[in-house]
Amino acid sequence: MSALIRMRSLNVFVIFIVLFLVFSIFSPGHRFFSRENMKIFLSAGAEFNIVAIVVGMLMIAGEFDLSVGSILVFSSWNFYVFYNAGVHILLALFLTLCVGGIVGFINGIITVKAQIPSFITTLGTMLLWRGVTLFWSGGLQAGMELEKNPVMFKAIAGVIGDLIPAQFLWFLGIALIIALVMHYHKFGNWIFTTGDNKMAARAMGINTDRIKVICFTVVGICVAFVSVMQMFRASTFSARTGDGWELKAIAASVVGGTALTGGVGSMMGVFWGALVISIIENGLIFLRINYWWIFTVFGVIIVSTAIISKYIEQRRVMLGAERN
Amino acid sequence: MSDQKSTARDSGTTLPKGNDTPLVKMVDIHKWFGKVCALRNIDFHVNRGEIVGLVGDNGAGKSTLIKILSGFHHADRGEIFFEGKKENINTPKIAKRLGIETVYQEQALAPHVSISRNVFMGREPTKSFGFMNRKMMDKESMGAITKLGLRIKDPEAAVEALSGGQRQGVAIARVMYFKAKLVILDEPTMALSVKESRQVMDFMQQLKAEGISVIFITHNIFHAFQAAERFFILSHGEALTDVKKKDTTIDHLIEFIVSGGQEME
Amino acid sequence: MQRFLNRILSYRASFTLIVFILLLIFFEIFSAEHSFFKPANLTAMARLAPDLGIVSLGVGTLMIAGEFDLSVSSTIPLCSFVFTKLLGWGFPLIAILFITIFTGALIGFSNGIMVVKTKLPSFIITLGTMLFWRGLVYAASRMMPIGIRSWLDFGTWLEKLFVGAIGGELPIQILWFIFFAIVLGAFVHFHRFGNWIFVTGDNETAARAMGINTGMVKTVCYVMVGVLCSFMGMMQNLRIESFAANQGVGFELKAIASSVVGGTALTGGIGSVLGIFLGTLTIQIIENGLILMGAPPFGISAFIGAAIVIFAILNVSIARKSGR
Repeated sequence: MSALIRMRSLNVFVIFIVLFLVFSIFSPGHRFFSRENMKIFLSAGAEFNIVAIVVGMLMIAGEFDLSVGSILVFSSWNFYVFYNAGVHILLALFLTLCVGGIVGFINGIITVKAQIPSFITTLGTMLLWRGVTLFWSGGLQAGMELEKNPVMFKAIAGVIGDLIPAQFLWFLGIALIIALVMHYHKFGNWIFTTGDNKMAARAMGINTDRIKVICFTVVGICVAFVSVMQMFRASTFSARTGDGWELKAIAASVVGGTALTGGVGSMMGVFWGALVISIIENGLIFLRINYWWIFTVFGVIIVSTAIISKYIEQRRVMLGAERN
Repeated sequence: MSDQKSTARDSGTTLPKGNDTPLVKMVDIHKWFGKVCALRNIDFHVNRGEIVGLVGDNGAGKSTLIKILSGFHHADRGEIFFEGKKENINTPKIAKRLGIETVYQEQALAPHVSISRNVFMGREPTKSFGFMNRKMMDKESMGAITKLGLRIKDPEAAVEALSGGQRQGVAIARVMYFKAKLVILDEPTMALSVKESRQVMDFMQQLKAEGISVIFITHNIFHAFQAAERFFILSHGEALTDVKKKDTTIDHLIEFIVSGGQEME
Repeated sequence: MQRFLNRILSYRASFTLIVFILLLIFFEIFSAEHSFFKPANLTAMARLAPDLGIVSLGVGTLMIAGEFDLSVSSTIPLCSFVFTKLLGWGFPLIAILFITIFTGALIGFSNGIMVVKTKLPSFIITLGTMLFWRGLVYAASRMMPIGIRSWLDFGTWLEKLFVGAIGGELPIQILWFIFFAIVLGAFVHFHRFGNWIFVTGDNETAARAMGINTGMVKTVCYVMVGVLCSFMGMMQNLRIESFAANQGVGFELKAIASSVVGGTALTGGIGSVLGIFLGTLTIQIIENGLILMGAPPFGISAFIGAAIVIFAILNVSIARKSGR
């Protein structure tokens, strides 16, 4: 039992497998496990998963970003505008990433300089960016002809070997890079320390402000990238996208064993946690459960996994395990 | 040391009364946390109106000892006598009722709340229906503070506007006002300047003048020597020595602690 | 005179008052045809502002105690739904009133107990309960509005109590808002329990060391929020003469915004009921004024978001400057 507790991310992996089996078995005609659904699960799911990974990283640093959904839609809008202005697609992508980074940077700067709890800052920017987007776009939904760029299309939204969507590979790549940094690079160690005990980190000469701002900026850039990915897949701009993503991202991290107070967590855990959240959403639809129950289910998941996570963390400390 | 031991061992539920009955007497205290022994064979007492310096390095057991006294922990073995009577101090409330008050460094006051409200935190005097009697709070809190020698004029001032020494003063004025009999000061001079530390030591003298006993916890032997009249030194959960100031010198004490108890005075 | 001014300015609420007056002047000048101060507009505001106001009073007081409640946006429609169902079942009006309020109290109590017992951040717990109750309400009502006219005749005492008009002109809602503000204000600032609320939010450890049961204090505040939500749910229901599943949407953010604009600290221990009162009116004025100026509805939420951030920053810098 104590070994299980020590391998925190193992728990989440097990939960994922169990859910996968449950949905496969119980969906009508086992359609959950069909090739089409798997493709969707891996491609559309990858978009959310990337966001969950970076949000998880930020949570380990001890901060929250509730504005990711709004950054997503705002970035979508930016890309739409740039592209339709005739800008070359690579430049449009680059500009979108820049703006996303700036938005994230703003979140970070306000939080550390004004010393406001991040969840309030990002609550405000969440309203701000979505409102701005809705205002400028007039709430429209518009198609985009992105197929005209076959190379980019294949690179971002194509399918390798008729099975694995490119998005999933991007997800794996980004997750791998972040995991390596978090667990093997000194910057990652600084992130953990900042989240765990800011005072101690500063006393050790770590510039906690800079670390947090960097994390926020990375979140902004990645979310912007995801927005472009999404637009390639869906070929439309929708002013409604990203709604509720911030909650799901936090849920994914919590399910993956990230502590809400910071300093504790693992990228492996967040990885599987994100997949668990994606699969729940995807699977509930397949089980013909009403859309509305999804809210309730997520509510229960967030609270119960937070409680269980905290309990497990206390036991881990007692058993002398490291923070993983 | 041996005189005190002989009175202690034949304990019933009361100790023989006399003018020199200690205010509080802890006998044969043991405490384990899991397998770790935090305190072993501790006999500790404080007389009325006495300032005792409880000295020891980190991990010596000072915190544990006073936590047992103030009801946060329960001794695994041993007894506590307060004013001659055996007491089971199982909760902080009981300790408070007996008149044992602890003043911590960080945890005493609410920074953005006024001095007056801080002094009466949790014990606010009320008029009808529970509404606070602010006039009385202001008057009484100022009275207690002035008595201590602090020169603060405005009861409505927020505590965070005060200096470290003044804040300790407010916390001490509070325990004085509520008729504490024994005040435990946990590292009160830790983050304070020389002048402020001196201020706190003056407060302690003020408490003594009121007949209140003081346990002054510190790992700073110099401060202890200045303020206290007796020293109880712990090391690794055991009592190293219990000696009056007039029976020793600062150099002897330091030697003693550094050598781990080898050098007797 | 100087000292008098200093004293006045040292109250957080003064700052809000100044902003409030400035906004009144601004909108009066810049609104189309100076329609801001016309009786029709003022009456409309007096009818609508208390919706947010009553809830904000509760949420803000809870923030002084150091905790958040994001679930208000679900408690409101839930109580409105219960109210509607009870009407449909023909219960006596007085029973309906008490049962609905009791429902709100129960929800608040459950929030409070969870926050206190799990010791998890309140914004996560109430995020979870918000989703939980919202899902329930959506599922139970299938998101369809339910009119109450078929069960409630015109002119009943219940209706007059909640949405009547004094002298045919002054909406009773604003009186309720002022009533709650006065009662809560007296309680928070002059009653000993109010002192407990402040010290619990300012330094919980000190409060507990002094024997204050901080868990009980927080739970009472949560119950109070629940009760105020139920009250407001009924008030809104009677005004629009139906239950609507999107009642209360966005209120959790606006209530926090109102409190922050009113000088309430996000970390607890600082704030005033008067400030929350003025803060709510300020937010409502911004909304109302922007609409009158012809701003599109989407842009408004952006302003609210910006207002949250700006005022949070201002609060912190004022606190630092005045050393309070």
